[in-house]
Amino acid sequence: MPTEPPPTGGYMVAAYIVAAVIYLGYTISLWKRAAAARHPRRNGNA
Amino acid sequence: MAETLRLALVLAGKDIRAELRSRTALLSAVVFAALVLVVFNFARDPTALGPEEIAPSALWVTFALASMLALNRAFHMEREHGAIDGLLLAPVPREALFLGKFLANLVFVGIVEAVALPLGILFFNLPLGAVLPGVPIVAILATIGFVSVGTIFSAMAVRTRFAELLLPVLLLPFMVPPLIGAVEATTRLLAQRPLNEVIGWLRLLALYDVVFVILCTLTFPAVVDE
Amino acid sequence: MTVASAGERLVRRGLIIAVIGLVLLAGIYVLALADTPTELHQGLAQKIFYLHVPAAWTALLVFSIVGIVSAVYLWLQDERLDRFAAASAEVGVAFSAVMLTTGPIWAKPIWGTWWTWDARLTLTLFLFFLFVGYLSLRAALNDPAERARFSAVVAILGLLLVPFIHLSVYLFRTLHPRPVVLKPSKPSLPPEMLRTVLLSFGVCLVLYIGFVTARYGLSLLREAREASEVAGAD
Repeated sequence: MPTEPPPTGGYMVAAYIVAAVIYLGYTISLWKRAAAARHPRRNGNA
Repeated sequence: MAETLRLALVLAGKDIRAELRSRTALLSAVVFAALVLVVFNFARDPTALGPEEIAPSALWVTFALASMLALNRAFHMEREHGAIDGLLLAPVPREALFLGKFLANLVFVGIVEAVALPLGILFFNLPLGAVLPGVPIVAILATIGFVSVGTIFSAMAVRTRFAELLLPVLLLPFMVPPLIGAVEATTRLLAQRPLNEVIGWLRLLALYDVVFVILCTLTFPAVVDE
Repeated sequence: MTVASAGERLVRRGLIIAVIGLVLLAGIYVLALADTPTELHQGLAQKIFYLHVPAAWTALLVFSIVGIVSAVYLWLQDERLDRFAAASAEVGVAFSAVMLTTGPIWAKPIWGTWWTWDARLTLTLFLFFLFVGYLSLRAALNDPAERARFSAVVAILGLLLVPFIHLSVYLFRTLHPRPVVLKPSKPSLPPEMLRTVLLSFGVCLVLYIGFVTARYGLSLLREAREASEVAGAD
């Protein structure tokens, strides 16, 4: 019976960062795409 | 019901005759299957893996890829000749249209498999007693699964510009259960395991077939009707 | 109310809900790190459980929603249902991405391998492929009615595929037992852990609602802009 848990903290940090990046990234992507859809394109209509 | 089946057979016959006349797709699928089998032979370490160990995977990868080639061709032909619009105008029940296409594709893929299997037996030195009659039965069951979903997806994919890319992307997840069932059953048949070990997998294949043939027949009208 | 302003409103509301969700997520992070016991055999990596499992549950839930809403769309032909299904599918990809990245990161120290073809992992991978297939098909079709009908069919077929994938992979795995270094604790969960994972799932639901609302609004904004471009914007 191990007395101390194995040193797996690095993996935890990595996973927590990756998840945060995905959730934050998706939120920002939604915001940016909405901004782009709101305003007419800079170079005007074709 | 009987009328639908009769129409389906008529439509299937038309497609099969058309393909047999041109033969190009059939030939390329057969050549492709042969090549894949040859590559598999060279891609293994002969000291580590015996031929009967790699044969099931080799055969089934071949059958799966060849099925996709065949399915791609099926609707392209229709689109090129605009034939499907004529069919849709005629008072043909959509279910018959699906079943007809499905049966034609089944025959087409079946021909490719019927050529590839003997090649597989040859290249992998498989004992005929182990292969027959089980492996062809497994092949029929699994192919019904691939082709039912493949027929409806190729009907959709052909309306896009990226049909050749889209069909595999859509179809591959649906090929996994029949593929697993087929490889497992084939492995046991080739190892000449008792029948009760194979039956479970055959049941999975059969259940998949029933569910998806019915489902695809029911949803096909949504694909071809406005 | 015009389509554009309806879209605008939904985007705003959705993003607000999403940001609330993100703040709550930060709360979960704190909860998981500070107030939940560390598992003895897995160490800190076990805490990935509080992100991975709720994301997986949400992805599966979203997938089912897309399938069911699509079936209802084919029956009722209401384009709002199609829009909702498409928005949900994209959000589902986000949750699947979290699931598929945190999963292997968790598996590596615990199972000794990044990936294993067990029933659950394989199912989650195929869920992702099905979402991608659905969205790829939509991207390749221009006619809205055709796009709605076709993707609805894919969604329904996909929903019915899920039990088969689970069954076949499960049968495959049980007959091919794999060496397992350590199994993540499932049956008896200490109450704090259960609390944290359930709260985390709640936060995922908040995020889903925020994301899907905003994404739905985005569809409306795009449709409004396309309509004005076709008409010739004044």
